[in-house]
Amino acid sequence: MNASYLELQGIRKTFGDTIVLNDVDLTIREGELLTLLGPSGCGKSTLLRCIAGLTELDGGRILLGQKDIANLPPRNREIGMVFQSYALFPNLTVFENIEYGLKMRGVAKKERISRCEELIALVDLGDKRDAYPQNLSGGQQQRVALARSIAVKPKVLLLDEPLSALDAKIRKNLRSEIREIQKRFKMTTVFVTHDQEEALTLSDRICIMNNGQIVQDGTPESLYSTPRTEFVARFMGSYNVLSHMEATRLFGEGIGSAASFALRPESVRLLSVNKSTNEYDEIAAGKRIIEGTIDSVHVLGNVIRYVVETTGVRLTIDILNDGRSLRTDEQRVVRLALDPSQLLQLEKEGA
Amino acid sequence: MNQRKVGWTHRSLMLLLMIYLLLPLLGTFLYAFAKEWQTTVLPESWTLEWIREMFRDARFLDALWTSLYLCLISVALSLAVMLPAVFVITVYFPKWETFMKGLVVLPYAVPGVVAAVGLIRTYSSGFIDITGTAYILIGAYFIVILPYMYQGIRNSLLTVSAVELLNAAELLGASRMRAFVTIILPNIWPGVIISTLLSFSVLFGEFVLTNMLVGGHIQTIQVYLYQRVNESGHLASAIAIAYFVFILIVSTVLMKLGKKFNKVVGR
Repeated sequence: MNASYLELQGIRKTFGDTIVLNDVDLTIREGELLTLLGPSGCGKSTLLRCIAGLTELDGGRILLGQKDIANLPPRNREIGMVFQSYALFPNLTVFENIEYGLKMRGVAKKERISRCEELIALVDLGDKRDAYPQNLSGGQQQRVALARSIAVKPKVLLLDEPLSALDAKIRKNLRSEIREIQKRFKMTTVFVTHDQEEALTLSDRICIMNNGQIVQDGTPESLYSTPRTEFVARFMGSYNVLSHMEATRLFGEGIGSAASFALRPESVRLLSVNKSTNEYDEIAAGKRIIEGTIDSVHVLGNVIRYVVETTGVRLTIDILNDGRSLRTDEQRVVRLALDPSQLLQLEKEGA
Repeated sequence: MNQRKVGWTHRSLMLLLMIYLLLPLLGTFLYAFAKEWQTTVLPESWTLEWIREMFRDARFLDALWTSLYLCLISVALSLAVMLPAVFVITVYFPKWETFMKGLVVLPYAVPGVVAAVGLIRTYSSGFIDITGTAYILIGAYFIVILPYMYQGIRNSLLTVSAVELLNAAELLGASRMRAFVTIILPNIWPGVIISTLLSFSVLFGEFVLTNMLVGGHIQTIQVYLYQRVNESGHLASAIAIAYFVFILIVSTVLMKLGKKFNKVVGR
């Protein structure tokens, strides 16, 4: 495997006075699925369009297998793309849509047919091969779009929020299908999304973007467990972000000098007031016990989310919904076990 | 029960509208075949004399033919210029759209008489001396149908999200020209046909500009109709009905052709 198959160097893009991409550097390995994750307007889609050649760069280089493709027109880049709106050709059938790229590249008819049949079978649309796009459901349309873009065997596949127009169940199915196909063909893939759950389940590596910059990148596990900045902590989950003062109130002195801290909601444990036996165990394990009042309780399914007010700080606490956990009333006093080793120091934004 | 009631009101409204729209036409139609029609609701006696007289007059067929080819040339010219132009503006220079929108409503803002006087003054001397010829008429017709063509083509392009389709086609390896011909054109064709038809009908019924620009030299069907109205109401009615039937036939043929063409390209 090639360690730097697709390499972006100092990509810059401005629209008028706004800087959309500010010196973005990114390296993608061959066969890797990389996700660009960020809120809308962070520049992730623009970056994708720059790679595809649909948006012109204001500066920087794009190397694909040692070749600079930044000045090539889209059709010569050997990059495939799936759009959020599918962009299927309404005047062509499913089969013809998939065949289109092969036709444009002058592939012989016999080979075209066998390749198309193979792909139609892959995305499981055998009975729809002669249907027109407007007669397909959203999920089916997106499968056709996927098949169409991989038909020409592109070196890199770009997916621009391909699932956001679909409903939840189809989204989940298609998500795992995309991942399966990507793994089977070892497709180097860049996936853009604003949905952190999607990014976590799908990716080999995630790049979190904000204001036209990549603020942190890493494996899903490392990003989730160790966010570096407040933005990442807030974006990756329901982290409690605490100021230095709030953290000192909860954990006492000696927690470090950072201006803000992050605390994972599932790292805090709830103890009921009168069961003092396991409280000693917790103290022995180096945890701090603090009293608080339950503000609200939400059942999210497999997790129960408590919002607890303690020493003037509102903490979000997630407890696994294992049937034994106390479905406590609001306004009740509880005791919390805080683990100082779970407290993360956050860097300043833009550092 | 409720639904049936709604359907009923709907239908009667439609019927009223149809009567309102078709009544004048029906009157004209009857008048074209009436011999005596003074004090009764319906004509007392019928005749085909007016129709016969109309076809006996060589000027009628001439005028019809003149109108037909002048309108066809103008619409074809407009199509040839506007289709690529609007495509390029919508897809590659969306910033120019505001300018185009302003430009395109100008024909509405300038009354026909003013436009005609201005055109005659401009083109009656100097390098381009084309007043009274078919060229000035075709030029003026081009401007008259500009709004219909521009809006029609632009709306079709936006409806099929041409930019996205073009991007997708280009990424699949198609050149811009090829993408336009294989993807964009077949998808916007129905809309383009409609605007072409609309433009054609508008031109066919155009009178003010035509009469002022070339009235003495070239007789279109409208100019001819205007001259005959004063001679006999019956004859004018016959001409109007013939004109209507002709437009109906042309529209149907164009519509059918459009559908057929669309299918051929689409498959």
